Amino acid sequence: MNHQPFEDWLLNEKLIDPKQKLDLDAHLRICSYCSALAETGKALRSVKIAAPATGFTARFQTHLAARKLAERRRRLWGAILFTFGGLVMLAWIAGPYLSSFFASPATWITSLIEWGVFLITTLQAIAQAGSVMLRVMPSFLTPFGFMVLVSAFAGFGLLWTVSIWRFARGDVPRGV
Amino acid sequence: MNDELAWVLQAQQGNDEAFAKLVEEHQTHVYNLCYRMLGEPEAAEDAAQETFLRAYQNLHRYDQSRSFATWLLSIGAHYCIDRLRRRKLAVFSVDEENDDGTSFEIADASSPDPEAETVKHEERDRLHILLKDLDDTDRAAVIMRYWYDFSEIEIAEALKLTVSAVKSRLHRARRALAGLWQEDEHSSARARTERRIHESPAF
Repeated sequence: MNHQPFEDWLLNEKLIDPKQKLDLDAHLRICSYCSALAETGKALRSVKIAAPATGFTARFQTHLAARKLAERRRRLWGAILFTFGGLVMLAWIAGPYLSSFFASPATWITSLIEWGVFLITTLQAIAQAGSVMLRVMPSFLTPFGFMVLVSAFAGFGLLWTVSIWRFARGDVPRGV
Repeated sequence: MNDELAWVLQAQQGNDEAFAKLVEEHQTHVYNLCYRMLGEPEAAEDAAQETFLRAYQNLHRYDQSRSFATWLLSIGAHYCIDRLRRRKLAVFSVDEENDDGTSFEIADASSPDPEAETVKHEERDRLHILLKDLDDTDRAAVIMRYWYDFSEIEIAEALKLTVSAVKSRLHRARRALAGLWQEDEHSSARARTERRIHESPAF
């Protein structure tokens, strides 16, 4: 059965003239689908609003207070764990050097220079290793493999950038 | 500046009393949306509470050029859609509604004809049951359209869809509802006929 244009009138709730109304009524008498469409339309137009039980706002305030308390506790524990972890880490790193803390200024300056030299030589070594890798890699990797590797790095970079962007925008839910 | 915007601004500055006024003002709309989406009063209460908690949490992100009600209902609709997706395999029951008195429908005091009102009520209940068979997002669109008289643009804004997608979802939902309505009528007619076959004359 052809439901057009009746289905269109019913779905879009178009205003129709008396002649069209007669045509529609005649079609509704013989078409159970369009009749159901009209019935559901009427039922949807007579819908009622369901209301919550009384005291909704008071219950919300109780929930909010409980959520705030839980959040405060979570933050407090987070701060305690972070501070404690930081102190343990600091003690672990600084432990071996604590004895030099009481050494003479000459020893201090010597160890500072040693650290600087160590840092510079390490960075140089990393740079050299990187350049060697870049020179050697093309002979080991096929162009396809190289593309996959570059794409993987680009993907990770994108993921990292999007994460930072989302966090900065505030999409990541924050506490109450 | 209207009262609502003033409350929003005060709430954004940390005034919980102002936010409570917003809850008082919008509780029925949010609860109704959740009830129509989830089908159960208890779940609707939980979802409405969670909607307000999320709104409170994200109040700093509310764009004052938009309607607060639309923003709130958008949060509620997305929360209900997520919740429905999570419990997709769970059994869905709408028969428990109004059993424990935790929810009620606002009565139509202007209704002059009790019989017509009863028929209307039955049809609304039937519609409420049929709504659960719609796709979650389609259901949210239908609720916003027919319960809140939202325009297609407002629905698109709330559900983060394009206007043409909203239009096609509304049409799809209406067609699906009509199909379900027909099926329901056929099965009721069949049940009536079967009852008649097994009935014995009273006299």
